Amino acid sequence: MKKEYIRSVLNIFASSPFKPLCIHANKGGDCVRKLSESVYAFCEGDMETVERLNHEIDDIEHEADVIKQTIRGELSSSIMLPVHATDLLNFLKPQDSISDEAQEVSYWLTLRRFEAPPEISTGFLELMDKTLATVEQYEKLVDTLSELLESSFSKRDVDDTLSLVVEVEEMEHQVDVIEKDMVRKIFRNEDVLGGVGVFHLTRLVMGIGKIADNAEHAADRLRTMVLRR
Amino acid sequence: MELFDPLVIMLIIAGLYMAWNIGANDLANAMGTSVGSGALSIKQVIIVAAVFEFAGAVFFGKRVTSTIAKGIVPIDSIAMTDTHLVAIGMLAAILAAGFWITLATFYNLPVSTTHSIVGAVLGFGLIAAYNGIIGFNEINWPVLFKIVASWLISPVLGALLAYIIFSLIRYFILQKSDDPYRIENKFVFLQVATACFIAFAHGSNDVANAVGPLYAALHALDMAGVTVPLWVMIMGGLGMVFGLATWGYRVIETIGTKITELTPTRGFSAEFATATVVVMHSYIALPISTTHTLVGSVIGVGLAGGLAAVDLSVIGKIFLSWIITVPVAALTSALIFVGLLGIGI
Repeated sequence: MKKEYIRSVLNIFASSPFKPLCIHANKGGDCVRKLSESVYAFCEGDMETVERLNHEIDDIEHEADVIKQTIRGELSSSIMLPVHATDLLNFLKPQDSISDEAQEVSYWLTLRRFEAPPEISTGFLELMDKTLATVEQYEKLVDTLSELLESSFSKRDVDDTLSLVVEVEEMEHQVDVIEKDMVRKIFRNEDVLGGVGVFHLTRLVMGIGKIADNAEHAADRLRTMVLRR
Repeated sequence: MELFDPLVIMLIIAGLYMAWNIGANDLANAMGTSVGSGALSIKQVIIVAAVFEFAGAVFFGKRVTSTIAKGIVPIDSIAMTDTHLVAIGMLAAILAAGFWITLATFYNLPVSTTHSIVGAVLGFGLIAAYNGIIGFNEINWPVLFKIVASWLISPVLGALLAYIIFSLIRYFILQKSDDPYRIENKFVFLQVATACFIAFAHGSNDVANAVGPLYAALHALDMAGVTVPLWVMIMGGLGMVFGLATWGYRVIETIGTKITELTPTRGFSAEFATATVVVMHSYIALPISTTHTLVGSVIGVGLAGGLAAVDLSVIGKIFLSWIITVPVAALTSALIFVGLLGIGI
């Protein structure tokens, strides 16, 4: 950086971790949106698209990692935030797992072609849709942080945020129900799918379920952060 | 003694250099927060700052100027021995302060012009006492103690006041509204008023750092009476405005583009608290650092939960600059004084 002939108050203003936090949440959302596309392509047997999307998800996940590292790197002990820094880092971790898990599932999609009865593919798509909806609701939740900061945590805005947390939790519960149902269906069709097929699909279903889990976990930590201020 | 005495001319030039520096950096810092929040454009800020800084300096700057000139070192007693000594001593003081400030600014250190000039004037007093011209007990230690205490108190006061102001805004306005962004728009106007206030406050306190030593010399040389001549204050005011116009706008730009966190409600709280504390000190004739008070006020807003991220490590740097500035400025001033006497000026 060019040295200016300046004595300034600038150093007192640290860069806010909240904007990068929102961008990071959206990167997670982008990964899951791509994953959803990939799951649809997978069910139609379009493995080329699955491969392409896998690379795209890899890139987005990497971008999310860089943002996460920047946020962590800038939170030295001298930085004063309106929330506890530990709480913020505790919530960043599960949020980062959203893109990690999406990447994992996307990779598993590339490993094997989909050959299963329509009953399975319908449930599979439903599970993906509900998971994506959960993650998108979670993005909305993280978005309210900027409003919270603007009004400096007014009671009304805090209540709005907390009600979104409850919605994310509710949606994650629905994902759980579909997930359990799917695993049962897969095992019921073990004759058609074969051992490897059962293993592959179970791994995929549990991976997608875990994405919603992570969103719920992050939402829970976000609530702690907002309440423990 | 003539106004065109080379010594007086050198004092005027050195004083103008200090004024330029104060305008270019400290004033720009105080004003930068208004640009950061988008309340005013850079052009508007410079016009507002020029008018109110000048007014503050000319109409409300005499008390602090007298403190710097006569409050710490008994220049009348020194003048009784030799009027010339005061003029040389004050030239040494302003050169030392100017040198230290230039160095600090070059290395982007948060050093205060106020602390530098107080240290430099003290250095002259100490060397005068060392040479037996005055007694050590003739240096006004209680006033010096009050000044140093005010350096500690003023940022804390700024923090406290900013904390209270922002908490009130938060409780009564921000939390009652549906749309916090609209409130911010309403505060834009208030912030324009505060920008005027802070420029006035800054002018009233910081002009002394530039013209205090000049007045002391003029007073000793019998070219100025018990009150500071108007032309001296006008010169100081013009020097600071010139500094702002020739360099300060760049500083404002740098600060303005980087402080986006300081929205109008936050900026208003920090600036109003700073300006109030500074004007209060100008009234009781104590020279304090506007910049350090502003840092305190920003921390106050942060403590009230108004800012996304505040870096408290600045406190350590400022504290260090306090401890270093006074001895360094005093020593440099004493050395320059001895040097000037040595070459027979």
